[in-house]
This record gives sequence, C-alpha cells and structure tokens, in this order.
Amino acid sequence: MVALKSVVVSNPSTAQALSELARAVDDIDVEPRLVCVFYDADHDDSLIFGFVRKRFVDAALLGGTSCGGVMSEAGLGGAGSIGLLLIADADGDYGSAAVRLGPDASDRAEQALHAALAAADCAGELPELIWIYQAPAREEAVIAGLRRVVGDRCPIIGGSSADNSVVGNWRQLGPEGPMTDGLVVAVLFSSGGIGFAFQNGYEPSGASGIVTRVGHVPQNGSGVIAKQSARQITAIDGEPAAEVYNRWTGGVLSEKIHAGGSILAETTMYPLGIDTGKIDGVTHYRLVHPDQIGKDGALSTFAAVEEGTRIYCMRGDRTRLIQRAGKVAAAAAQALPGGSQNLAGGLIVYCGGCMLAVGEQMPQVAAAVSKSLNDMPFMGCFTFGEQGWVLDRNVHGNLMISAVAFGR
Amino acid sequence: MEGAEELRETLVAMRQEIGLLRTEAKHANLLLEALDAMLDVDGRDDPFAGVFAALLPVFDCTAAIVLTESTAQRGPLKCIASNRTSVIGSVWNSGRKLEKVLAGRILTTLSAVDNEGWPDLDELRGSQAALYLPLGVRDRRGLMMLLRARDQSGFDRTHVTLARKFSLLASHALAAKHASQTEAESHRLKHLAEELKASKEALTFRANHDQLTGLPNRSYIAELVNRTLAHKAPGHKVALAFLDLDDFKRVNDFYGHTTGDLLLKGVAQRLRDEIRDTDMIGRISGDEFVIVFDPFERQAELSAVVSRVSAELQKPFRIEGQDIRTSGSIGVALWPVHGHDYDTLRSHADAAMYRTKTAYKGSVTFFSPALGREMSERLSLERRLRAALSEREFHCALQQKVDLRTHRIVGFEVLVRWVDSHGTIHPPAQFLQLAGEMGLLDGITDIMLDIMGEALPLLDAQFGADAQYSINISAAQATKTPFMQKVVRRIADSGRPENFLLELTEESFLATGTFVSEVLPLIREAGLGVSIDDFGTGYSSLAILADITADELKVDRSLITSIHQRPRSQSILRAIESLGASLNMSVIAEGVETAEERHYLLNSTGIKTGQGYLFHKPQLVREIIGRPT
Repeated sequence: MVALKSVVVSNPSTAQALSELARAVDDIDVEPRLVCVFYDADHDDSLIFGFVRKRFVDAALLGGTSCGGVMSEAGLGGAGSIGLLLIADADGDYGSAAVRLGPDASDRAEQALHAALAAADCAGELPELIWIYQAPAREEAVIAGLRRVVGDRCPIIGGSSADNSVVGNWRQLGPEGPMTDGLVVAVLFSSGGIGFAFQNGYEPSGASGIVTRVGHVPQNGSGVIAKQSARQITAIDGEPAAEVYNRWTGGVLSEKIHAGGSILAETTMYPLGIDTGKIDGVTHYRLVHPDQIGKDGALSTFAAVEEGTRIYCMRGDRTRLIQRAGKVAAAAAQALPGGSQNLAGGLIVYCGGCMLAVGEQMPQVAAAVSKSLNDMPFMGCFTFGEQGWVLDRNVHGNLMISAVAFGR
Repeated sequence: MEGAEELRETLVAMRQEIGLLRTEAKHANLLLEALDAMLDVDGRDDPFAGVFAALLPVFDCTAAIVLTESTAQRGPLKCIASNRTSVIGSVWNSGRKLEKVLAGRILTTLSAVDNEGWPDLDELRGSQAALYLPLGVRDRRGLMMLLRARDQSGFDRTHVTLARKFSLLASHALAAKHASQTEAESHRLKHLAEELKASKEALTFRANHDQLTGLPNRSYIAELVNRTLAHKAPGHKVALAFLDLDDFKRVNDFYGHTTGDLLLKGVAQRLRDEIRDTDMIGRISGDEFVIVFDPFERQAELSAVVSRVSAELQKPFRIEGQDIRTSGSIGVALWPVHGHDYDTLRSHADAAMYRTKTAYKGSVTFFSPALGREMSERLSLERRLRAALSEREFHCALQQKVDLRTHRIVGFEVLVRWVDSHGTIHPPAQFLQLAGEMGLLDGITDIMLDIMGEALPLLDAQFGADAQYSINISAAQATKTPFMQKVVRRIADSGRPENFLLELTEESFLATGTFVSEVLPLIREAGLGVSIDDFGTGYSSLAILADITADELKVDRSLITSIHQRPRSQSILRAIESLGASLNMSVIAEGVETAEERHYLLNSTGIKTGQGYLFHKPQLVREIIGRPT
C-alpha cells in the first residue's frame, strides 16, 4: 500500500522554517521510503539536509533548489518555501545516490544509477521509474549515460535545479548532502504502480528554419566528428540565428539584437520547437528555450540542438500554461494501473520560465494540478530544464511540464 | 476543435486508449491460452508444455524455466519444467534475487548482470535478460524465469505488468488443479475462465471498433481489408471507397457536437443499410469512412451501388426534431489495378475523393493514373512550398489603388508572389489555396510584414508618407486571436498603423469565435484600417455590416467586369454604393481592366477609387524600390 504526504512551510529563515517543518512532520504518521525535498534557493542547504537526514534516517533522499519555492495541494508555497514529499510503501523498494557531474557526465550518471539500485537493494534490476534532479547544462549527457543502462525500457523523469534569478545559485540535495554541480538519481520500485506524462503548452507559430551552424563542440579527442550538437545556435538558414529568431517573434528581441545579453524573459512565450515525431500526421514538439544572444548573433539555449535540425518558432500564452499543468497531471493519473481512482498522490515538475511568465496567476496552476489529482497530496518544483518521456523515448526539454502519479 | 493543441491531445489520448485496450486484449488472450493449457491436460501430462507455447511468443523469449523449492522447507530450488530439456532437474541456489521472487516480487534484469545462483550449464552460460515471476506449484513456493537470447534487448515495464497478471492466475490454477479439486473449486475456475473469455471478447471489440458508430476503427479496418485481400484469387475484383462528409464542421459549429455525433451515427447506419453482408465499412477519423465492396463483377454495377450510397446520404437526417442535410464526397480505387494493399488503395481513393471535394462536391470520382500523377504533382508542390517558406522565396508585390479621375496613387494592395529558385514568378492562384490547407499562410504573412517593414522608408520616399498599404488576411487567419495579436502588434510597432489596412473577406466577420468580439476591437484600438474584400461574392450580410465598423468596401471584380453592359450588376453596384455611403465606408472597385469600365464608374457612379490592370499591374517591391528585399 502506497501513501503520500506533503508538507510545505514558508519562512525566509531556514532555522525557523525547519522548526515549523519539524512540528508539521511530527503530526504525520508515516514512515517514508523516499523523501523528496525542494526549497527556495535562498535557504541554507546544510541545515535542510541535516534536518531531513536526522528525521528520516533510512529513507532514500532526493531534492534541491526550486525557482521561487514550491507548490502543493495546499497551494503555492511562494518565496521562502520548503516542501517535503514523503512516500511510504512497505512493499516497494526505493534508493537514491548522488554524484558530482565532473567532466564526463554520462559516466557519472551511469555510476549514480547503479549506486541508487544498490541502495534500493535492487542491483541489476530494471526500476519502474528513474527520477533525477541535477545541475543545469549537461542534461543530454546525463540522459545518454542513464540510457546506456536502461535504454527506453523505463521512464526517466525529472528536472534541472533552479535558483531565483538565473545566476547559477542552484543546488542539488542527495543522500550525502548538498552539491552545486551534481546529479541525484532515485530509483523507484513502487508496489502501487506509476503513471506519468510529459507535455508542453505551446503551439507552432508558422515560421521554421534549418539550423545551419552550431557552436563549437569538443570531441573528447576521439578524432571522430559526429553530427554537431550544441547549446549554441550560430546560424539558421545561413543567417545569424538571433536575427532570424527576432523576425520570427515579431521583433521582441530588437532591443537586444546588437547589444546581446539575457533574453530569457522575452523568449518564454516564443521558444523553439523540435519535431519529435507524429501521431496520425500531427507533429509533437520538444521545446528549446533560448536564453542569451551572444557574439555575432548566436543564440544560447537551455537544451542542445543538432546541426541540420529544422526548428520551429512556437507560441504560448498564459492561459495555456495555467491549464496545461492540470492536463498533464490528469494524464499521469489516468495512466495509472486502475486509473485515477487508484491515485495516492503525485510529483510535478513545472518549468521555472513558465512560472515566471504566469506570474501572479501561479496559484491557479497549483489549483489546477490539485483538482486533477483529486486533492491528493502532491509536490511541485520549478526547474530550469525538464526531463521526461515523449513518444517512447526519454528526452530533455525546456518549458515542459512533467508529472508522475503514484498508485495506492 | 479549438486548434492543433487540442487535436494533438485527443490523438495522444486516443492512441493511449487504443494501445491500452489492444494490450489488455492481447494479455487476456494469452492468459486464456495459458490457463486452458494448464487446466485441459490430464494428470499424466506436463501442464507446462502448453503454457510455454502460449508464453514464449508473447514475451518474445527463447527459454522458460520453472523452479520450485525441493521440499516444503526452504532450500535450493529444482527445475521441474523447461522448454530446454537439459535444464530440467538442475539445482539452483536461492540467492537474494530469487528470494525476492519467491516472496512475491516480479522483477526483470538489466542486460548485463551477475546471474547469481544459476547452475553451470552450457545452455545458460553468459548473461541474458531475464524476467522472474513467482509461481506457486502445488504446496511449494516456486518461480518461472523467462530468458531472452544474448543479442536481444531486455524486457520492459509492459512485460512486468503482463507477468504480474499471469503469475496470479497461474498460481491459482495450479493450486486448484493439483490439490484434489472440490466441485466448488472446479466451478470457480471454470467461472474464472468464462469471465476472462468474455472480458477478452469485450476488450477486443472495444480495441477494434469506434465507440460512437460501432464500426471498425482505422487500424482494424486496415487489418480486415489486408486479411481479405491476401486471400483473393486472381480475377476477383474489389473496390475501396473513401467517403468524406461535406461541411461536417459546419454541422458541428451550427448545431453543436451532440447533433454532429448523432449525424455520424445516422450516416453509419445508412451505410450499413446500403451494403451487402460481404462488404465492409470502417470509420477512420472524424467524418471519414472507408467502404469496401467485395466482390463486384462490372464497373457499371459498382458505379450504381456507389451512386446509390451517395444519393442516400443526401436525403435529410431527422435529428432531435430537425432535418439536417449533408452529402459525402467519395473517391474509389479498385483492387488489384490501383493497388495491392489497403494503404495504397486508401491513399488512391483519398486522392480521388480530394478531386471530388474540389470539383464536384457530393459526388463520386474513380481513381485513374492521371489522377495519380496529379496527386504526386500536388505532393511535389507541397514539398516545394514548404521549402519555399523556409528559403523565404515569397515576395511582396504592390498593386496601385488610384483616383479614377486623376490616376493619382492613393494606396497599394500588398500581394504575394512566389519567386522560385529558378526565378519563375508564380501567381497566388497557383499556390495560395494549397498553402492555406498546409497551414503555411501565417508564415507567408510574416514574410510580407518583414518585407514591408524594411521597404517602408523607401516607399515613403517615392509615394509620400500618406500612402496606404492593404494587407490580405484570410478568414482562417482572422479567427486566430494569437496570430492576429502578433500581426497587429507588428504593424503598430512600425509606428505607422494608420498607413495600413487589413483586407478581410466577409467570411471572417461571419465565422463563429472571437473575431468580432476580440480581434476587431484589437485592430481598431491599434489604429489600423479595415477593408472588406471581395464584397458582393460572399454572404453580403446586412446584419453583419450593421454590427461592425469597417473603413472600406472593395467591390469584387466579378461585378465590375463589363459593368457598362450589365444592367443587373449596375443595380447591385448602386445598392452597394448607397450602403457604403450610409455606413460611412469608402467604396473601391476591383478588377478595372478596360477604359469602358472606368468610364462607366466615373460617369454613372460616385465611386472614386479603382484598382486593376488598366491602371497598374502588380510589381515586386524590390523592383519598385530598386534593391533586394
């Protein structure tokens, strides 16, 4: 039997927040096998880690910073919030492990997965779900490493830890403590079954072009030049990428096209889309969020793009971003064995960029998710990159919403 | 549906549901076969032989091994059954993994693992992906292992789910079979098997049929047709008709989805009534059906049947007290001359249906090689158009609007031209409709706005800052609020919104949705002008004109052509003119091509502005400003 509980407190002082958290946790009768903890980046990680480790000695642990706090079935936690999701499941197995990513993120991810499986006492077994939380920047390499072990035989879902003002102050929390360049991997063998969904709230606006040049990609000295893939798009259809993209967006970047700099806020409603396949002729897209205009009109992005890929200009609006969260949560609950009636709770990853764009209407997002999950306990974190399963494949994308539903 | 987002969502949900149903039906089938195999053998036979035969293909595995504890006490495990005879009788040490399985867990391994506890047998040497499931055999704990070959990938979560169902049922079956069954136990098992069989049949039906009409769905009709065609002897004739209801969207929009659904059910029933027992029908998407006529002797006989179907659909449908009229456009392809399999026949019948739709809506077209060529030309044009958009081969041309009396330029209509890589200039008639169907118009409009934005200072220098530029917006574009917000914002950002008019057809104002309530106020607020294009050809609804504010009425060329010789057109023109005057809209005559037409307009009407080849042929902007755009 699986049972979930969520606890959220909001207080700018970490010590006071933890003291409130301790009181709330004491009122809950649950011995979790997995503890997820997400918090506003202004909090002190070591205090949070100390509290969680001491209070839940035997539980697998995964977490990290979340842009602007967390959300739960109680609503939006807001600035200064810390959220705990406690998953109790006497008949299941759970384990987590953490690594610093270092120069070879794929290798490190593979090691972390094996370590998490060993921690769950399930070495060599295929988990039902792999849940990851990591530092932004090397998500594709992390997924590649994990896929070396499990392929696409089980879903890999998670998010990239986020700070409050995109200045690199993001951290990850694993069983050994906090990290700034880390990856935490949790493996879940739930006795109640798991449902999941990974979607976005954007539609193509009509414009598209071919990526004709990407930024320099080190080849690890192998001498083999594979198809280039990088987080910098230098040219689209042979023209400086930023100029083409500015045209597509109707000139939202005109003021920064020459000066360069961060364009995260301007581009949240106009991300780039990559065709991930068709269902009955209708295309599905993975999103890539451009975040900077660099030298010579190059665009930096939060996900890698391969040279020769056709990219599409996408368009979103607030209403869709609000409604979509509820729809993704409902889809995950529906995918459970036994459907949404078997729901024990959920875990939501909502893009931090979308959260900033939705702004003061964010409580509606929390309410939409809560309604879709039948008011069962859930925890939502806000991230700078999302990982999930699209058309039978594990991928990394931006501006996405990922939901995991746990069966009873 | 609101848009691609909702369509995508519906498709994903449908695919998931059908996938789930098919999987469940497959699982139920497997469980039944395996259960039958266990229950039907008498005491001397090996109950596992039939079970293995049922399991191995479904799990796509090469070996199955059943291990049980040697005694009721815990200890090493013994292989009591396997499809690999050399393994039977082998002894296995119960390690951590096997203990978990014996305790009730189902698990599958990653591909390269230590196979702890395995005996040293040639048959088992090396790492193989394995799926373990608990299996109670008589009074002992046991398990079944399924192994894949070394070069195969591992099992996935779907296999684990299926193994869970099988494990439970098989343990029950074995327990009941080997403990001398009481009558009640025997009855319970029989009942279980019957329930499973009924559930399998129900699931199979649901997975294969459209829930609204009860007709075979897209994948099942394909399966049925291919199965039928595979057994046809040479000389047989079969025809596949593709039927698309005409203007079904309007029924949904006007009467609502409930009525639309009832109409689809009515259509399905009427089709059923018209076909023979040997024919087949399937519903392959919203308003698309496939009918297979099997067999037929002569084409004349087939034509008569298809025409009868078409005529039946045109009779009114009585739905909730109302008579609803519809029709179906039909295309027909013949087996074997037009294709040997379902996909080819459907694609050719679809092409013929498309011809019906565009030329003779509500009738029937038979596929022909010439139509096939047209289809591939259309596909080629589609490819070229997509490339043209990404290569930005669309260019702006301007056609002057002039004062009829003085020929002074008062503005321009912005027109699109496709200049391909060979320099050939294609007029809109050659590509615009298809571009609209392909959803490329928004991208083309973006390019038009880009070019106009860049050229405006140079155009100002030639024609003055007062010249007005009219941008064409299709009805489909006009009802997309986000797109129109972008267009309006882009023009407003130029700082000169008063120099631009949006030319909209009457259909835009009629369309249900948000145009009149959201988009029109947006255009007005930004200071752009509104022109009603092609006036006199569409609905020309006075009620609509009363509700909207527009600046200009453009009288369609069909009314202007030879106006001096056509008294009826003259009367209509007078009415439009007076309408324009009373609503304070300027009236402009399109398609003025002869001096006689101009003379009539000047001397017999109050219309002051005209546009047409008599004054100016559209000219590329790059030629007007003398530099590339």
